[in-house]
Amino acid sequence: MNTYNMVKQRFIKKWINTLHMLDSSIEHPLNVTERKNAIRLSSDLAIAAARSGSTVWSRALISRSGNKTTNKPMARRILKKARNRMKNRCRTLRRNGNFTAKVGVRKRTEFLKSLVPGGELIDDKDYLIRETLDYIVYLRAQVDVMRTVAAVDLVTGNVTNDRRNK
Amino acid sequence: MLEGLVSQESLSLNSMDMSVLERLKWVHQQQQQLQQVVSHSSNNSPELLQILQFHGSNNDELLESSFSQFQMLGSGFGPNYNMGFGPPHECISRTSSCHMEPVDTMEVLLKTGEETRAIALKNKRKPEVKTREEQKTEKKIKVEAETESSMKGKSNMGNTEASSDTSKETSKGASENQKLDYIHVRARRGQATDRHSLAERARREKISKKMKYLQDIVPGCNKVTGKAGMLDEIINYVQCLQRQVEFLSMKLAVLNPELELAVEDVSVKQFQAYFANVVASKQSIMVDVPLFPLDQQGSLDLSAINPNQTTSIEAPSASWETQSQSLYNTSSLGFHY
Repeated sequence: MNTYNMVKQRFIKKWINTLHMLDSSIEHPLNVTERKNAIRLSSDLAIAAARSGSTVWSRALISRSGNKTTNKPMARRILKKARNRMKNRCRTLRRNGNFTAKVGVRKRTEFLKSLVPGGELIDDKDYLIRETLDYIVYLRAQVDVMRTVAAVDLVTGNVTNDRRNK
Repeated sequence: MLEGLVSQESLSLNSMDMSVLERLKWVHQQQQQLQQVVSHSSNNSPELLQILQFHGSNNDELLESSFSQFQMLGSGFGPNYNMGFGPPHECISRTSSCHMEPVDTMEVLLKTGEETRAIALKNKRKPEVKTREEQKTEKKIKVEAETESSMKGKSNMGNTEASSDTSKETSKGASENQKLDYIHVRARRGQATDRHSLAERARREKISKKMKYLQDIVPGCNKVTGKAGMLDEIINYVQCLQRQVEFLSMKLAVLNPELELAVEDVSVKQFQAYFANVVASKQSIMVDVPLFPLDQQGSLDLSAINPNQTTSIEAPSASWETQSQSLYNTSSLGFHY
């Protein structure tokens, strides 16, 4: 999967940059929650930036992250290309309960819209699914990379995992 | 000469009844050709840049894969990334309103895979001036794009058909020749040919294709049929991935007192090498099931997540569910959501 690796590489590069930017622009020390939010924010911005096309979810993710933080100029600086056309239209996530099997397609699509960033703005069901699939690819890349980074041994700098020997 | 090649090839691929094997062969050929082209053109970087610029390539993946060969990436890739590639990206942003973008990642997953009928191009691209290299790279990127455009239901998309060495035109096969603003659908034998049923059939085919894509991407979709079930799987998967991201970011926050992370120690090259190793070691498995590469990768990642558990690697449908549960279980970091 060469192209999936390329996706991950792009994400890594963007993530390093966003982390640096975030690190330089916030105050230390932070507690754990703030650090977690900072990491999550930088990572989300990185996947949205790595998705260099014009997808709804990437733009919505950027605008949502821009709203959550006070570092709007930083967000815009990171993502020069992405235009925040949806800056004010993106609402917060609604987390509904689980569905029973009897709930129909319509409610599920609405729930999916709440999950995918920018999904509420998409009316066409076909397009929503395509956006979702695209988003899933980048989410996976994000998870893979973050998992690898988390597995890095801080002292030695080696990547510790069992996968290599499989 | 190149234009002649393009037109000739465009005529030869018309059948959607190409067998899966033939399609796979064709896509593999395209990949090899692409690699040859990219490595060959690594000496002609300014010319390739010009070509890409001229065609207003809307494909950042293409650009980046090409540029990576030229070693233009690296430390200068930070905030100046976009400025450095100004002119090509102007062309890119021009077509940004097109809905074809999500297709780019389709090829990320499915380049070995799916049915190919024709290669869809954006409206602004002029097929007749396409070069050989551009065509090949576009095939790689857009190899499933033609069905995407048809799935989008945009009959306005201008499309050209890609070549296929193994394609065969069967008179009984339904095919979509997309030229200019029309969708020509050839009816199967014994089926109604009036307009509505044709459109209906085209729509149904698009939907079924989309379902196939879904099954490839989301593990565990194979066992579920029907729209509600598929949506359920998708929702579950997205939720699971998002929770994983939350968990991992918390883990990283705990492990790193400063926000430096260990990313600087582990350089980008090391990451790349690591991923290459992982891929290389898994390639023997992946070759067998080229249609489900993500499944393989997803299921194989389990061992890293479950170091304390001896759960065997089961079917991918259960893999990521157990994965998320194990993430919660093994989190001894003592944080709360």
